Amino acid sequence: MTLRVLGILALCVLNVAVVLLLAPLFEGILRKLKAALHSRIGPPVTQPFLDILKLLGKDELRTAHGVLYAAAPSLSLASVLLLATLVPMGGVPPLGFAGDIVVIVYVAAVSAVLLILTGYASGSPYASVGSSREMMTLLSVEPVVAVALVVGAMKAQTLSAGGILEWNAENGPSLSMILAGVTLFLAVQAQAGKLPFDIPDADQEIMGGPLIEQSGPRLALFKLVLWAKQLLFATLLVELFFPWPRVGLLPVDLLLSLGKVLVVLVLVALVDVVNPRLRIEQAMRYYLGVAFTSLAALAFTVIGM
Amino acid sequence: MTSECYATQVLEALSERIGSGLREGRRLEPDLLWLQVDPEQIRPATRTVKEELGARFLITVGIDQRPQGRGYGIVHLFSFDSERLFVALGCAVDESNARIDSITPLIPGAGWAEREFQDMIGVTANGLPDPRRLVLPDDWPEGLHPLRRDFPYNYRPPSVEGVAPPPAEAPEGTSVLPMGPFFPVLEEPASFRLFVEGETVVGCDYRGFYNHRGIEKLGDSVLTYDKIPFIAERICGICGFIHSTCYCQAVEKAVELDVPRRAECIRSLMLELERIHSHLLWLGIAGHILGFDTVLMQTWRIREPVMWLTEMISGNRKTYGMNMVGGVRRDISPEAIPRIIEVVETVAQEIAEVRRAIAGDTTLLARTRGVGTLSEEKAREFCVVGPPARASGVPIDARLDHPYAAYDEFPPRLCTQEEGDTWARLLVRVDELEDSIRLMREIVSGLPEGPILAEVGEIPEGRVGVSAVEAPRGEAIHFVETGGEDRPYRWRVRAPTFPNLQAVPTMVAGQSIADVPITVGSLDPCFSCTERMEVVDLRDGRRKVYRRKELEELARNALGRGKGGRP
Repeated sequence: MTLRVLGILALCVLNVAVVLLLAPLFEGILRKLKAALHSRIGPPVTQPFLDILKLLGKDELRTAHGVLYAAAPSLSLASVLLLATLVPMGGVPPLGFAGDIVVIVYVAAVSAVLLILTGYASGSPYASVGSSREMMTLLSVEPVVAVALVVGAMKAQTLSAGGILEWNAENGPSLSMILAGVTLFLAVQAQAGKLPFDIPDADQEIMGGPLIEQSGPRLALFKLVLWAKQLLFATLLVELFFPWPRVGLLPVDLLLSLGKVLVVLVLVALVDVVNPRLRIEQAMRYYLGVAFTSLAALAFTVIGM
Repeated sequence: MTSECYATQVLEALSERIGSGLREGRRLEPDLLWLQVDPEQIRPATRTVKEELGARFLITVGIDQRPQGRGYGIVHLFSFDSERLFVALGCAVDESNARIDSITPLIPGAGWAEREFQDMIGVTANGLPDPRRLVLPDDWPEGLHPLRRDFPYNYRPPSVEGVAPPPAEAPEGTSVLPMGPFFPVLEEPASFRLFVEGETVVGCDYRGFYNHRGIEKLGDSVLTYDKIPFIAERICGICGFIHSTCYCQAVEKAVELDVPRRAECIRSLMLELERIHSHLLWLGIAGHILGFDTVLMQTWRIREPVMWLTEMISGNRKTYGMNMVGGVRRDISPEAIPRIIEVVETVAQEIAEVRRAIAGDTTLLARTRGVGTLSEEKAREFCVVGPPARASGVPIDARLDHPYAAYDEFPPRLCTQEEGDTWARLLVRVDELEDSIRLMREIVSGLPEGPILAEVGEIPEGRVGVSAVEAPRGEAIHFVETGGEDRPYRWRVRAPTFPNLQAVPTMVAGQSIADVPITVGSLDPCFSCTERMEVVDLRDGRRKVYRRKELEELARNALGRGKGGRP
């Protein structure tokens, strides 16, 4: 029993460590890639770590009072780290249990909701506009994520992420799972705040939106949350919908997964580089289309494809 | 019809309408008709010129003529584009009752021009719909008008706190989203207060002119004819050569000076180079405003060799210091020609690639088509110029309408679109880029031999010259009235952004907040031109941003003087 608890703890530490170390590193790689496509040299790949360290060393300034406002960045990071222990990384998720995909959907929304509240509370008109855009994005993207996960659950006849992963790895690709995977990929673009969906923080329109009043350590945590979220959604995507090949050895599977995650994030960055920003209602219309595609995936599941 | 016949026709029409109210009417230059009317007749005369004859309003010049005993001169400048004729419709306003009828009810685009002479000369425009201050700061004392002759150029009224008038009220049920005075995509200070309902903009209020530096005042009180081209060039950091050319041409026209053909060709060549780099710069900024930084990075990479080229020709990337009254100071060496051709051909190829990439981008289309639409009617109402006018189907281009430099021999193609949206403005600029490259090729191959600078004799007093130059942003207008002491009596500058900015409230109404930056950006606004200031200087390859005070000191030292007094 003790051994089992220790094992779970060790896995949790592994997942959290992977997220904390690799999320900034992958962001650094993406920046380098973007710079190459811009004909720039770009910052070193370690720049995100340096950014975080620099911001953590600054004074904390707050434009609003209240416990929730003060705790929002830490709560947000905590929710993302909790999410890290629910997402499979190379094996079954450490804190996985029989109904964990429902929990994943809710925990993933916590950081977004905290960001929205922070924006509204910070008292800047730009942050208010940003928060309302963030909310609209969340409302259009969340159904896509949920339907994709439901497709997996119906296919594998289980509500556990680990179960879906194992079923998919064993049974090989199917039309409905691939389609659901593609819609989830399209959702990652918005979840990661990349163009053409970086509408909530649009620098050139509303100067960073919900985060305009954030600085120093608070900004560092919010940035880390954003990078961690893009990593985690990409991981969820490759683990549940593209788990092949699977060796069965945790380190090998973990490395394979991370390689695939990098591929997904590179694709996200490529879309980011070749697109201007959409308007919020154009983005919502786009995600409505994606939602219909994911419903088609659900229909394929029902007829067994 | 020749401009001569047409001038006679305008004169006949006017004398028929206002009879003896027409005091004076004669052609000062082949393309300038000078009219003086009684002050009471200014509105009927404007109606005749604008509504019956179809002239386009350019700008108003306010002149303090009290030393000559003629009160204040208010001169409205008009252009008959296809007839290649400028009309100066002026009157002398009595000193004791400095009032004149506003023409803004007839021409909405004259609003800022009239607010400006209210501020600067102190003549009140009766019936001006929005009589608020335009140029002067909020704490400037009442009754002090900087462009009056008795106002010392270096006088500074003390600053006062808390005298700013309340800003325009937001309509019921809307909230205010400030865009400026400092905002990421406005490279210069300008303040748009957007009245928004959710994401929709229902109106806006503009306040600008935060950096007015009184360059016109320097021109008629401190500088000399030969010094002004260099400060005129510093009116704008991007289209400086346009302003120095425009000033020189105005003086040359006033004294009927023949400029050597080679100098005219060199001017055209530099003007087209400036258009190429400016349009590339705009394309990049437009991409950046939409979050499309790939476009920004690539177009600015393409632009860079053009800057190296101007550096090779003039010694500077910008602010070439080449123009003089009578021609240019720097020749183009035969060795430079192959390099110019090489750069132009490379840029031509890369622009073709950019065009292909842009034309196929559906997201870009979604963000620009139908955005910031300016109808032809509104464009004419606000006297909009340049690519924004052409994109709304107003076929004007100063290079064709009032040919200058070498454009009579190398006419440009008129690039127009009908839709009047941001996409149309983008297309117009890309078309113009390609046409500029064609012009460059032709000018380089047709460059005549000969001198580059004409001898300028004594410049007589009391002559008037009006000149237009098509800047990348639209038509720039300079008016010069010659004076004594080797300097103009009055030098008036109108940058293209001045009329274009007035159309912004119409263009953003009903748009989403997300579309406001690109709508304003699609005008290619140049606040510094409008405000006649300089921000950045580049010397010895080192970059230094001068503060206003440093700049003023620098200018004074360069003129070899302390505060006030003659050198």
